[in-house]
Amino acid sequence: MRKLLLLLWLALPVCAFSQGFQVNLEGEKQIGMGHTGTGTLLDGASVFFNPGAVAMLPENYLQAGISPLVFQSTFNPYGTNLEYHTANKIATPFTFYGVWGPKNAIWKLGMAIYTPFGGLTDWGDNWAGKYALESLDLKTIYFQPTLSIKITDYLSIGGGFVYNHADIDLTQAIPLSNANGQDGQAHLNGTGKGYGWNAGVFFKTESGVTIGISHRSGVSTDFSGNAVFSVAPSVQPNFPQPNGFTSTVPLPATNSIGFGFYPNQKWIIAIDANFVAWNVYKALAFNYTTQSSALVNASFPRDYNDASSIRLGAQYKSSEKVAIRFGGGYATTAAPNGFVTPEVPDANRVYVTGGLGYKLANRLDLDASFEFEHLLPRTQTTIYTGLSGTYATNVYIPGISLSYHW
Amino acid sequence: MKFSKQHLYIIAGLLLITACKPEIKKPTPTHGTADFSRYISIGNSLTAGYADGGLYLAGQQNSYPSIIAKQMQSVGGGVFNQPLFSTEQANGSGYLQLTGFTAGGSPIITPVTTNLAIRAIEPVPGFGNVTLYTKYSGDIENYGVPGIKLEQITYAPLGNLNGYYERMLPGDFPTNTTPYLAFITAKPFTFFSNWLGNNDALLYATSGGAGDVLTDETVFAQLYGLLINTLTTPNANGITPKGVVATIPDVTSIPYFNTVTVGAIVAGVQKANPSVQGIYINALVSGTTYAPRLATANDLIVLTFPTSMIGTLVTTPYGQLPYGLTPYSPIDNQYVLDANEVALTREHVLSFNNTIRAAAASKGLAVFDAYTFLNNVKESGLIIDGLGLNSTFITGGIFSLDGVHLTPRGYAIVANEYIDAINAKYGSNIPLANVADYHGVLFP
Repeated sequence: MRKLLLLLWLALPVCAFSQGFQVNLEGEKQIGMGHTGTGTLLDGASVFFNPGAVAMLPENYLQAGISPLVFQSTFNPYGTNLEYHTANKIATPFTFYGVWGPKNAIWKLGMAIYTPFGGLTDWGDNWAGKYALESLDLKTIYFQPTLSIKITDYLSIGGGFVYNHADIDLTQAIPLSNANGQDGQAHLNGTGKGYGWNAGVFFKTESGVTIGISHRSGVSTDFSGNAVFSVAPSVQPNFPQPNGFTSTVPLPATNSIGFGFYPNQKWIIAIDANFVAWNVYKALAFNYTTQSSALVNASFPRDYNDASSIRLGAQYKSSEKVAIRFGGGYATTAAPNGFVTPEVPDANRVYVTGGLGYKLANRLDLDASFEFEHLLPRTQTTIYTGLSGTYATNVYIPGISLSYHW
Repeated sequence: MKFSKQHLYIIAGLLLITACKPEIKKPTPTHGTADFSRYISIGNSLTAGYADGGLYLAGQQNSYPSIIAKQMQSVGGGVFNQPLFSTEQANGSGYLQLTGFTAGGSPIITPVTTNLAIRAIEPVPGFGNVTLYTKYSGDIENYGVPGIKLEQITYAPLGNLNGYYERMLPGDFPTNTTPYLAFITAKPFTFFSNWLGNNDALLYATSGGAGDVLTDETVFAQLYGLLINTLTTPNANGITPKGVVATIPDVTSIPYFNTVTVGAIVAGVQKANPSVQGIYINALVSGTTYAPRLATANDLIVLTFPTSMIGTLVTTPYGQLPYGLTPYSPIDNQYVLDANEVALTREHVLSFNNTIRAAAASKGLAVFDAYTFLNNVKESGLIIDGLGLNSTFITGGIFSLDGVHLTPRGYAIVANEYIDAINAKYGSNIPLANVADYHGVLFP
């Protein structure tokens, strides 16, 4: 009669997407200029920034870029002198853009492949928050065919369809020690897909100022995959294997408005403002294919707020062949107090960027960029995991791209 | 090319930035108004690191005083010696191990009986057997003695009756005459923690009110006053030691009394025999008068009650009767802390805790309110760093396999509660221990 129901409380995978997961690395020229681009016409990356602007591009483009980034986060648990760091792993957001239309036609076709959301945080299996998260590797790849039409010389519009292919790999410690005192582990590995669209409009005003407005829709992404739970043999029956999981994550919509100013032939100044509709992200739920008394479907509150950012950038053409770029921005956090989690210790952030463009040949541009992003330190207690402490995060992002245009 | 140089500078700059990790400003370590250079811990089994029904090396190494002492290192803490068992005799007194689950989900708990540190078992007339352990002869800062009561701190023969105390003393059984209070204060110290008093109520409770007695409330108050006065007497170097004391948990907050319940037993019996109304216990009426009656949810059954005894035929003056199912064959008193006994124990614990709080207040000592803390854990559980913890046996994560003492994780949580109390009182900032580094019950 000393019978026990083995009811094991388990905060199973708790994954978050926040502004931090919005990658914002969609073209080296634009990164160099503070990641502005909604209201300017720089190259094929307009397919991402503002499909409405594509028809105004003076040439056809074929370009690819990569921005390997290191996300360095530090956590100091409340009241301790301990510090934990994420592993120095390199994530590789990339872009590919193609833009084509007949000379002097009023339309252009575009194709974009880019990685608008993602995250690579590996805290390891021996840190204070291991029961909340060990590591997360999330990738999204958006494929976006686009059509843009020039209505008049001053106004063009465009729109595209988005297919998202996503990968997720998440590990978390399970607080059941085996005979050697080692934790169990949950490992979710799967893929996801979702659909969306985007549209934009682009104006050239008489004063010469250009204005762009764009909308990228939310992409509700359905994940499914394997759920592997490794625990001590005596409690393994509580975690049915093999097992699978499903989860739906609403990747948020983004509205942008941007302006381009052209004081003289050498200078471009750009301003962008973005509004990210994170309030769709109310909760994160995981459903398991086979459940048990210890392993039940779980839903975790997120209660995210809409977030916004303001960006400013400039390009200076010092010669026919060379362009120097710089910029920066400020973004507000989507995660409200009490909902900051180690997947992305989200916080208000500031960033500065710089870039260099070099004309390798008549039709070939080489662009390099660098971005340094600093998430303001944030002291938080996650409400439902009780994980309490201070996060500080820096992100270092070099990038390079090649553009062929004709 | 004009730009190659510039380019180089940029790249060099980038590499430099990439090399530094973000830093978080942490407060400068300070010991505040306390001096942790020699911290001693005073208490019973909980202080010794007793767990899983025994005192063994791994448990000692995770005792809460040793965790506190480790955390004190950054704010001037000194060496902290514990009377550890040797690695050859690492299993000390022996302890309980979880070795599996039955098909019905009940835990299978098996004693560990190898590599013990037992040197002799000596009968003492009028007392019983005393188990003696391999002597420890080094320095001691952790004076936790399993089984000790506050009532016994001035009792000279204790060193011959408590084997855990005997092994700390230089003299051999049965010649010891050093009272506990004299032993712990023999060497100067600067800071102390004291968690004596649990056994003055707990031993009565765990024996079902049958095998031990509650310490008189007045005696408790006198001895607690003496203890605190002695501990806060300026030492030979003129330093008045500071310290932290802990209150005594409500006995009903531990799984030892909450795992095997009357309701569960009755439900089990009714499965086989639906006509059974309930189980009978021999319950306290008043004073020392006991009478059989039906058990209710307010009567607590101990964790060690062999439930298979229920219904087996036992010999009574009224013939062969099923155990526990008639008023003439009630469950033995030693397995039940009945409602009146619970009330009696509670009354004493409340009185003891008033004494403890008053003594601490009069000397300006820090207080870890274990009574309130463990009641809260029982009521609402505890969530720390993604860990859901509660007072449930085995799966709760805090209590070890004996249902009374704690797991390493439980002791780490207690250490942090002590540290919070010390920091708040003395303006120090002893860093908290990382609870996730310490494990709960081990599953095979």
